Amino acid sequence: MNPPSLLDRRLVVVTGKGGVGKSTVSAALALLASRAGKRVLVCEVGGQERVAPLLGAPRSGATTREARPGLFTVSVVPGAAMREYGVMVLRFRAVYDLVFENRLMRYFLGAVPGLAELVTIGKILHEVKMVEDGRPRWDLVILDAPATGHAVQLLRVPAALMDTVPAGPLRHDAEWMRAILEDPGRTGLVLVTLPEEMPVNEAIELDAQVRDLLAIPRAALFVNAMPEARFTLEEHRLLEPLEVDGEPLGPAARAATLQAARAESAARELARVRSAIDLPATVLPLLARAEWGPEAVDRIAAALATAAGEAA
Amino acid sequence: MRPDQGSVLPALEGRRVAVCVGAGGVGKTTVAAALALHRARLGGKALVCTIDPARRLANALGLRSLGNVESRVPEETFAEAGVRARGQLFAMMLDVKRTWDDLVARHAPDPARRDRILGNRLYRQMSSVLAGSQEYMAMEKLYELATDRDYDLIVLDTPPTAHALDFLEAPDRVLDFVGNDAARRVLAPALGVGRLGLRLAQMGGGYLAKVLARFTGEGVLEDLGEFLHNFQGMYEGFKERAAAVRALLARPEVGFVLVASPSHVSIDEAVALHGRLREEAIPVAGLVANRVTPDLWPGRAPLPDTGALAGPLVASGVRVAAAEDLAGRLARTLAENQAIAAAERAALDRLFEAISSPRVVVPRLESDVHDLAGLARLAERL
Repeated sequence: MNPPSLLDRRLVVVTGKGGVGKSTVSAALALLASRAGKRVLVCEVGGQERVAPLLGAPRSGATTREARPGLFTVSVVPGAAMREYGVMVLRFRAVYDLVFENRLMRYFLGAVPGLAELVTIGKILHEVKMVEDGRPRWDLVILDAPATGHAVQLLRVPAALMDTVPAGPLRHDAEWMRAILEDPGRTGLVLVTLPEEMPVNEAIELDAQVRDLLAIPRAALFVNAMPEARFTLEEHRLLEPLEVDGEPLGPAARAATLQAARAESAARELARVRSAIDLPATVLPLLARAEWGPEAVDRIAAALATAAGEAA
Repeated sequence: MRPDQGSVLPALEGRRVAVCVGAGGVGKTTVAAALALHRARLGGKALVCTIDPARRLANALGLRSLGNVESRVPEETFAEAGVRARGQLFAMMLDVKRTWDDLVARHAPDPARRDRILGNRLYRQMSSVLAGSQEYMAMEKLYELATDRDYDLIVLDTPPTAHALDFLEAPDRVLDFVGNDAARRVLAPALGVGRLGLRLAQMGGGYLAKVLARFTGEGVLEDLGEFLHNFQGMYEGFKERAAAVRALLARPEVGFVLVASPSHVSIDEAVALHGRLREEAIPVAGLVANRVTPDLWPGRAPLPDTGALAGPLVASGVRVAAAEDLAGRLARTLAENQAIAAAERAALDRLFEAISSPRVVVPRLESDVHDLAGLARLAERL
């Protein structure tokens, strides 16, 4: 059976090193899916919301909020997730309040290792599982995961708990969570990287961890911010000695050699990451702007759509 | 070095510890390694310690891998890179689990107690999964290195946390866990009967305990009971140690180096972190604005267009037929560079307004720093 295409899955986990553009990619994927008529939820963790502002919408906080038609965002924080989880397990809010408004108890729950991560990933996977009026609440849930190390910690919790926790409700939850995370029909992991040496090294290492440690189906590799090959090698060599010229040619030649050097190194890194990671690679362009907003997300979404069209 | 770019090196002279902090993806690890290399070149014995699980530092230093003990960057690596150092450069990567184990071994009253803790399921999970555990152990290791070894400079690279502040708060959070009085009170009756396994029915607050068991399963509570029981008496040692670590951070021989790239996300983090450090009375020794696009067209003169560039190109020997097309691309590239440089400058002004520490602006390098020679070039920029 062929795995479904990325946006036809129920959960897409977007991972990568800090600063590679995970949130931009998450926002662009969500935009594409919502334009295709899907109901999409983007979950962010760690308390810093970037996706809604990238889409030009106000931050949603811990309550789901519609940023664009059919596109919702939510920031999953352990405190609120714990409460939701507590109500779910205990069935009744009154019981929950009795227990959780007890300071002693809150302290105690905070002490169980991995519980904060568990309720965080639990809340997200619960959204994947939710059914309303006979159909899933969300066609697609996108998890904008934290940077490398923390993403592995978060995604590993269900499996880790199954190794450590004896039978009981916690283990039961860990089991269904793991079932979703590891199902290639429902879940796909996207690796985002930049065409630079260190991010590529980290992507290769993260990919190995995903394979060895997480067993989450790997779906795609996105190489973000690829500079355009604007000058040939010959032109690059020709321009280098002109850098010492006065204005206007000197500075222009300098800008050009910087761009060319960056593009050449990016091409090498792209080739390296492609040969090291056996996933279909999508290359996203470097945008000539320092700031990110709806316009940048639109352009990345367009590039993703083109790439998907070419792949099909 | 261009004088207008500033420097953080004078502010670090005479310091014995530098802690690099900042958002993920700003080049913190490379800056940390470059600071250590600089001291080694001046004749000092310098160590860079990373807690980055992605092992980036080994790459940059040409070492195959880094472990929980320091390894010296071999002289051949210096020779190959054409970098001369009068001193020595060491590097290591923090192994969180090992550092925990060492800490437990140091504080345990006897080997039997030590083994019981090391074998406890909750302990094993805590030492690898508990959020903040990594940051706590980084501080712990830093203290050990700073007090037990004879380095002239130790540079600590902090983990790429979602919250750069975690490393300040983590010790308290983790200490809460091992020394949780509230938890001990709930568990006390069961512990009092001298059993390691605990029966929920015997617990004070039996109802709460039952509800809790519904959450976690009973075995978890038993593990936690055993864990807290074994940690009894060790908590004070841990707490003293954490206080000593905190005191170390505020000492004048320790300097925090804030690393930021010119993106709003990274600058927000740097400003927040700076505020938090000030609350803790921990001064920021230096500020590194990293990966900044150079301003190639300073002043207010309009940017050159295709026509203005085609002439000089032809004069330098480019064929007339090719000059126009190349000049067009040159003009576009310079304009793009300047647009990015201007946006970054505006972002950085906000940073410099908020933080008045000695600072340096490091231009985006033409190629990634991936070897000792590249690190040496970066160090010269700092």
